[in-house]
Amino acid sequence: MAGPVISARELSLVFQTSDQPVQALARVNLEVGEGDFVSFIGPSGCGKTTLLRVIADLEQATSGTITVNGMTPQEARLKRAYGYVFQAPALFPWRTVERNVGLPLEVMGLDDAAARVARNIELVNLKGFEQKFPWQLSGGMQQRVSIARALAFDPRLLLMDEPFGALDEIVRDKLNQQLLDLWRRTGKTVVFVTHSIPEAVFLSSKIVVMSPRPGRIIDVITTNFPVDRTLDIRETPEFLAVAHRVREGLKAGHSYED
Amino acid sequence: MSAAPAIAAPAPVKPEGHTLPVVVICVLIVLAWYIAAIPMNWVVTGPKAEAAGGGLANLLLFSWNEARPVIPAPHQIAVELWKSVFMVKPWMPKSLLFHGWVTLSSTLLGFVLGSLLGVVLAIAIVHLRFLAKSLMPWIIASQTIPILAIAPMLIVVLGSLGFTGLLPKSLISMYLCFFPVTIGMVKGLTSPETMQLNLMRTYNASRSQVLWKLRFPASVPFLFTSLKVAVAIALTGAIVGELPTGAVAGIGARLLQGSYYGQTVQIWAALFMGSFIAAGLVWLVGVAERLILKRMGARP
Repeated sequence: MAGPVISARELSLVFQTSDQPVQALARVNLEVGEGDFVSFIGPSGCGKTTLLRVIADLEQATSGTITVNGMTPQEARLKRAYGYVFQAPALFPWRTVERNVGLPLEVMGLDDAAARVARNIELVNLKGFEQKFPWQLSGGMQQRVSIARALAFDPRLLLMDEPFGALDEIVRDKLNQQLLDLWRRTGKTVVFVTHSIPEAVFLSSKIVVMSPRPGRIIDVITTNFPVDRTLDIRETPEFLAVAHRVREGLKAGHSYED
Repeated sequence: MSAAPAIAAPAPVKPEGHTLPVVVICVLIVLAWYIAAIPMNWVVTGPKAEAAGGGLANLLLFSWNEARPVIPAPHQIAVELWKSVFMVKPWMPKSLLFHGWVTLSSTLLGFVLGSLLGVVLAIAIVHLRFLAKSLMPWIIASQTIPILAIAPMLIVVLGSLGFTGLLPKSLISMYLCFFPVTIGMVKGLTSPETMQLNLMRTYNASRSQVLWKLRFPASVPFLFTSLKVAVAIALTGAIVGELPTGAVAGIGARLLQGSYYGQTVQIWAALFMGSFIAAGLVWLVGVAERLILKRMGARP
């Protein structure tokens, strides 16, 4: 594809709450290219999830423009341009793993469902668990099912909203490594929301540092780690330098608040 | 992680023995009943016991064996039940099975109609927001009207239209039992989390897909809870429907005849028959619930 996958210009979003309007996003400019792994990082209330939801057409911006695959987010959603992974697995408890992964295929009426389901279950290393119900799986496994579900209809764009936020660090490390492998193998564009600095630095080709009240972008860092990196990279000076820059950015975002 | 599933099916846990407490409570109730029968039947049996020479033995004998007591003793009801269930042919009007079947058939028809109405109303209310405001007050008002007040009118109106017998009674059952189903299903259909609804939105799912793939399966536990209430109410509705119609068959008719002729033993036997039917129906709904929820992956 020629143009950027996501392009936002002067994007703002104001929530009308009962007492006062809340500026969730203020004049956000952003470009995400094909095959990028972009992380939004920032403290809670910085609008990172809101920005992701605007891309997914789950919220609508109040001003500015945004395109997804050159279309409005609504058109992109209607064309099923992206897979979305939520903070919680949001699996349907009455469906087995297999039928949860097959849900989007059923809704969209895609053929070849069985093969797609099998392929994506294998992709997230859950072969053998097809007939299990969600309650029989651990939290990490459930979140992997939800990633397989998001990938089942083979969208080019994967939107992930703090998918590993509720998991312990050991599981999170493991899933980060698996997600990175998955990204490398599939070449998908990933937009990933997190509040963990090591997670953002390890995974991303581009880190978008955000700051709250109003939600805005204060730094965009492009990293150049090898694509076949492993978790060991987190001990290297290059990694620590990027992490430091992210931390500085987050600090700066807070400074004229307090 | 691709190894064989590590989760073995847990060994079935036997439920704790409930037999003893159940038996103890039953014995206590029967005891209290026998004791209460003495003062309650005193008006009728007191003079008879005196005439027979008095004494505790005579008092008990007469109090517990009066043919037309104020309250019959448990064994009298048991004997009447035994006679009217097993000692007469089930298609004879003297058989409680015959009357039970008449009531059961209109109960079941009313239950099916009422449950369908309840589900349809709930689906409409969940999807058309204005209905929640405009229809709900009427639904609630419908349940505040004493059924005994409108049952005769309904029967008369339907009778003049040529509907007699099973259908009017079933409609009264339906009128009573759709309510818990509507309330339960509105709750159930709105039970999916925002995240699950958002997920369907990202798939650009249609409203009917959201209904059948998300809202309806999510509401099944709520549905069964409502159905258990509804099936018992449907039976009450069928019995009440038999009272003002001058019906000659059914548990309600049996109650009415009993009260005309002062046959308290017959009334109580019919009441017990009704309770057995209700218990059986609720149990059946419970069995269906367990089977279906098990298929839907509920935790054992």
